[in-house]
Amino acid sequence: MSDRRSRFEQLVLPHLDAAYNLARWLTRNDHDAEDVAQEAMLRAYRFADGLRGEARPWLLAIVRNACMSWLQANRPAELAGALDAEAADAEPDRAEGPEALAARAIDRRLLNEAIAALPPHFREVLVLRELEELAYKDIARIVGVPIGTVMSRLARARRLLADSARVIARAAKAKVAE
Amino acid sequence: MIPQEAARLLHAYLDGELDPANSRALEAELADSAELRAALERLRAQSEAIRGSADYHAAPAALRARLGAALGEGGGARRSWTRAWRGAAALAAGAAAGVLLTLWLLRPAADAGLARELVESHVRATLGGRLYDVASSDQHTVKPWLSARLPYSPPVADFSQHGFELVGARLDFVSGRRVAVLVYQRRRHMIDAYVWPQAGAPAVRAGERDGFNVEQVSHDGMRFVLVSDLNRNELDDLARLIAAAQ
Repeated sequence: MSDRRSRFEQLVLPHLDAAYNLARWLTRNDHDAEDVAQEAMLRAYRFADGLRGEARPWLLAIVRNACMSWLQANRPAELAGALDAEAADAEPDRAEGPEALAARAIDRRLLNEAIAALPPHFREVLVLRELEELAYKDIARIVGVPIGTVMSRLARARRLLADSARVIARAAKAKVAE
Repeated sequence: MIPQEAARLLHAYLDGELDPANSRALEAELADSAELRAALERLRAQSEAIRGSADYHAAPAALRARLGAALGEGGGARRSWTRAWRGAAALAAGAAAGVLLTLWLLRPAADAGLARELVESHVRATLGGRLYDVASSDQHTVKPWLSARLPYSPPVADFSQHGFELVGARLDFVSGRRVAVLVYQRRRHMIDAYVWPQAGAPAVRAGERDGFNVEQVSHDGMRFVLVSDLNRNELDDLARLIAAAQ
């Protein structure tokens, strides 16, 4: 077995679940997530010799870039919100303080829909923080932005999530009432 | 009205990413403002909801198979899994070594030795898969098991309703004597709570590490030292629960 192969199997392959989870949340469907995750894993294999430091953020940076290329090619409209994200980075949080959805007021399906409905730049920081439990510095490295931007995007993501969860819950209620 | 700066820092505080000086300043503001405390609680509840209920998409078996084929998998799955496991163990050991160095630099000498010993014990138990000798979430099973094997009877409490599930206990050697280790679980994180009798031990003290957090609290004539890869805020929650337990 080659050095690269054993290095890849020891250091990178254990993080396949994290790779797929990120790809699945960014592509929002199983089929494309498998394709993108596989492509990213093969790229990671080719670059395994260049791996320094922790493997998981390194791998997720590759997966994230593969997802962004995929979105650019297949869902350009979703990425059009990127400029809004930049504007949000500069804009301070609402003065009345952070909003949040009430844990009990929302079921699993609504929560998943609300996360999936977030613009990709906010969805990725939320998934990396809450589901992968990564440190801000790792998220900054993966997304390729300063730590301060990670902070403001995460704050914005959490507030958008609270807002959209409320909208979805209201829509669902209206549907039942019809 | 919540000051804008406090609202912004609340997220970093919740995530255990705020530096000590800013944390202290924010904690002072939290103590003064019910509104700010309520905002923090809402954020914490939302974060819990996401971690507890949002889908985590594990890689499907088909993807593993496709990858194996693409990489020219020849050695069989078992070998590659053994190797992957060994790699993970080596990584964890490396991370532990990094932690030990940090502990050594940050702690007063006596505590550094102790913290190092406890982190080593925690890593050994985690890697060896021997987290507990008695597996039970029932404090009335765990407590007699421990008192039968120790010259003291440590307080045992389950904090499941607060998200810290008691999963079992084991015995370990610390500074040459046998101590009780209560094992708690929060999501995917295991928390070891080392307990031994020691009057006048320090009040809550936390240490921030790059892989593990170590937190000490004294309660009921016992010293508790918590070791986990859980984030500092949540480990702190457990320390407070222990300190408040009957």
